[in-house]
Formats: sequence, structure tokens, C-alpha cells
Amino acid sequence: MRSVGTLVVVLVLLALIGPMLAPYDPTQINIPHRLNPPSLEWLLGTDALGRDILSRLLHGARWSLGLAFLISVIGLCIGTVAGLVAAQGGKLTDWLMMRVTDTFLAFPDLVAAVVIAGVLGAGTGSLIFALTVTGWMRYARVARGIGLSLQNRGYVVQAKLAGLSPLVIARWHYLPSLLPSLAVVWTGMFARAILGISALGFLGFGVQPPMPEWGTMLLDARIHMRSTPLQMIWPGLAVVICVLAINLTGDALRDALAEQKDQKGTA
Amino acid sequence: MIQLIASLLLRAAVVLTGAALATFALLWHAPGDPALAIAIARYQAVVPAEVVDQVRTEAGLDAHFWTAFQAWVGPLLVGDFGQSSVTGRNVWPELVTMISYTLPLALAGLIIGLLTSVPLAYVATRRPGGWLDRCAVALASIGAAIPAYWLGLLLILLFAVQLGWLPAMGTRTPAHIILPALTLGLGVAASLTRILRSGILEARGQPFLPAFRRRGVANRDIERDHVAPHAAIPVVTVFGLELAFLLEGVVMVEVIFARPGLGSFLVSAIEARDFPKVQAVVVLTAVLFVTVNLLIDLIYRALDPRIGERDA
Repeated sequence: MRSVGTLVVVLVLLALIGPMLAPYDPTQINIPHRLNPPSLEWLLGTDALGRDILSRLLHGARWSLGLAFLISVIGLCIGTVAGLVAAQGGKLTDWLMMRVTDTFLAFPDLVAAVVIAGVLGAGTGSLIFALTVTGWMRYARVARGIGLSLQNRGYVVQAKLAGLSPLVIARWHYLPSLLPSLAVVWTGMFARAILGISALGFLGFGVQPPMPEWGTMLLDARIHMRSTPLQMIWPGLAVVICVLAINLTGDALRDALAEQKDQKGTA
Repeated sequence: MIQLIASLLLRAAVVLTGAALATFALLWHAPGDPALAIAIARYQAVVPAEVVDQVRTEAGLDAHFWTAFQAWVGPLLVGDFGQSSVTGRNVWPELVTMISYTLPLALAGLIIGLLTSVPLAYVATRRPGGWLDRCAVALASIGAAIPAYWLGLLLILLFAVQLGWLPAMGTRTPAHIILPALTLGLGVAASLTRILRSGILEARGQPFLPAFRRRGVANRDIERDHVAPHAAIPVVTVFGLELAFLLEGVVMVEVIFARPGLGSFLVSAIEARDFPKVQAVVVLTAVLFVTVNLLIDLIYRALDPRIGERDA
């Protein structure tokens, strides 16, 4: 758990200060030095336009991790609100809300994201929209489920009888119990967002060149697979390391939560 | 029971209607002038405004949103997917051809996934916490973090470019399916191994099993009547998850390996802004997905009577 936590801290730091560590401008085109192998001057080599791959990777961390963070947090907010509205509203509200969630769950996430981002036109805005729209439902399901189970708890009933507004009850009575479970869902969605951003980038529907994003870097590298195969390794490796670290954090979080629940149950 | 099935069917119908409406609304409000895009694609040249307007009328793009929606959904209900806005040909025959390419690929991926994960999960759970188990879990975690497109590129790099053992691009020979199927299958294997492993462990750890054993119930009967039903529930869940995984994977894998199929069909239709084709693939996906999930829901209730009580 601790080692995984350290890894995540390192990744966050990399996304924050990585661009400062980059030895070159990631968009600086330098044709005479195109497709250089790794050397002391360019630690990971240069791409087809002579740009330094290490610098692009470091700057790319901000795009891939930063956007994924943004997308997963927006989804968290929308989903939690939707779930709590369903849990607190009447039967009809709940039914309608759940059918709306089901409708968005009627497509595999990535397929829907590809269609939305592709149709709206490539760009960061439609990328964020596409991945948020296809990602909020899981939070809503979890928030609703826990919300419903809390409905008849003494303190919630009492708060209702005391005439507190649903908003206050949601904030002070539901949210604290929701947060641990939502955190587990969030790690999963964060990892999915990283995969989604790079997948859309790879298809050409995501972050647009010359911005260094790991998926688009992979798309560029693919053409030169025969001459400089190493170029294709780095961006993919970056995605795998990040997703793995976040998934392992999520697993550890879930285990810790389950343990806590067990202790409460036996105490 | 009949009431339950009716309510599930109603739910599926509402969801599919919503999905069709959402898809149509997205494409209707897409930026850019679809009529202009179609005109350019059709005549391969810069076209005068009158021609664009003519195309607009022909394609029904000047109609009101609801009129256009009805004009699309009506024929759809009897299985008519409409015509390509670029070529004017019917979408359905083309769709069938694409399915005939995608289905073998998805099946091959699923089989590779099952053949890898079932033995792996079985071996791993013989000694939970042992080194084999740890290896299996580590492999599955890494596998789940590897995006399909990168795995595909790595396989091409190794087996097609460096070693030259297998062909990569297109579908000319049966051997062309090996690398794409492997890409899909390894991804399936990663997620299946995890689910199967925890499913088996959970089924074996049920507290009533030792009780049965002490009462002298035969091991075979316990396995059949108590372990199997508990292990069956996660297996059913798996099929829903794997379907989503396969559909997503097919899009990436077909693009990477330049294979014809539903995924590459969808991507090229989006790029050509041929919206009837996009709608057709999306609706087909949604119908498949909702139907499978409906079946899974019904099987769940048959397997686990507790689910029916909670939420009908």
C-alpha cells in the first residue's frame, strides 16, 4: 500500500513539475535531427520532426494525467448529484434517473466516446465532453445504492423529521458515508480516463498535434515502426505505468475499506 | 414472473428509445454542415450552394428535428437502417459484411481469453497466496493496464516486423487473424483471470460448505449444489463485461491491423461524416448490449432468488 502510494505521489509530482524538468521545448521542430536514436543529447531520441521525445513525454504527462483527473472529477460531481437525487427523490424520480443512467450505459464506454468525440470534431473540449458523458454513471449507481441504504437510518430519519432541507441532509448525512466508496470508483474511472484519452488520441479524435499527448505520440510513432521501433515503446509504457499505479491504489483502497467494514461488523 | 419479465422488457424498451434519441440528437446537432460534407464526398469537388441545398432536401436534413427522427426510427423498427448519405447505397448489406469480418475475430479473441484465463485462474486458486497465485494476479493487473492498441502495435513490432513470422495488415490469409485475435484475447484473459479467481475463491470460502461436509454430504454433491451456483454468478457477470470489452477492443484492433469490420467501419463513417452509417452501428451496438444485459438480468434472478426480492 505504502509503495503504491509513493508511486502515485511520484506520478502526480511528475505531472506537476515534469514540464520544468524537460530539457527541450516539446513542440520545437528540428528537422536535421529527426528520428535520432537515444543518446546523451536526446535521452530517448527524437521523433519524425526532430522533437525531443523525453520532453514530449514529460509535457504529455500534464495532458494525459491532468485531463484524466479533470474528467474523472467532473464525472464524480455529476454522478454523485444524480445518484443522491435518485436516492432522495420519490419513486418516479428514482425510476427516471435510473433509466437515464441505463441509457448512457447502453453503449460500451469507449465506443460511445469515440462516436461523440469524432462527431463533435477533434479537440480537447469534445474529448473532455465525450469522456465525461460516458463516465458519470458508475458514480451515480454507487451513490444511489448507498443513499437508499442510508434512507432509514435513525440519524437520517431524524434529520428529515427536524425539517432539514434535502440539500443539507445530502451534504452532512449522506456524503460522508459515500466518500470512501466513491473514492474507489474514482480511482477506476481515473485509470479509464487515461486509457480513453490516449485511445482517442491514437484514433486522431483527441488532443490535437502539436500538443504532446501520449496517444497522439503513439500515432506518430507508428508510421516509423520499422526504422525507429523504440519510439513506439515510451508513450505506451508511460500509459501502462500510470494506469497500473492507479489501479493498484484502487485495489489497496478497496481492501482497506473492506477490512474497516469487517472490523465494524464484528465490533 | 410474467410481471417481472414485462417490467424488464419495458425498461429495455425505454433505454433503447433513449439511446436512439440521444444518438440522433448528437448527430443532428453535430457542428459543420452535413449537407456540404455529403455533397463534397459525393461529387469529389467544390460544389455550388444550389447543389448543397438539393442534397440537403434529398437527405431530409432541412426537416424539423422530430420529423427527421420519426423518418429515421420508423423504418428502423422494421429493420431498415436507411441509406449511406455519401454513396446512397443501403447500409444493412454493408453492415452484414462487416459483421461477418468482426464476428470471427471477436470469437477467436474470446476463445483465446478463455483458454488462457480458465487454467490460469484454476492453477492460481489451488494455493491462494502462493507464488503461482501472485504471478497470476500480477500478470492480470499488468494485462489490465495495457491498452489494446499498444499491445497490438507491440505484437506487430515483434512478430511481423522483427521476426517476420506472421502477417499483420489486412485479411488476405487465415493467418492474418492470429495477431489481432491475440491482441483481443490477451486483454480478455487479463480481466477474466481476475474475476474468475475471486469468484472461485469466494465460492470455496462460503461458510456453509464445512457445515455440509461435517454433516457427511458427499463432496460431489456439495460441488454441484452449492459451489457451482455461487461460482456461476460471477461467470454470468463476466459475459456482460467481456462483451463491452470485446466491442471496445474490436474498434481499436481493427484500426491498428487495417482489418475491415464493424470497428473500422464506424471510424471511417465518422471521418466521412456518413451519419446514417454511424447511427446504424451505434444502434446495433446498443441493441446487442441491452439484449445481452437483459438476458444476464434474467439469468441472475434464476440463479440467485435473493435478487428478485430486492428489486423487481
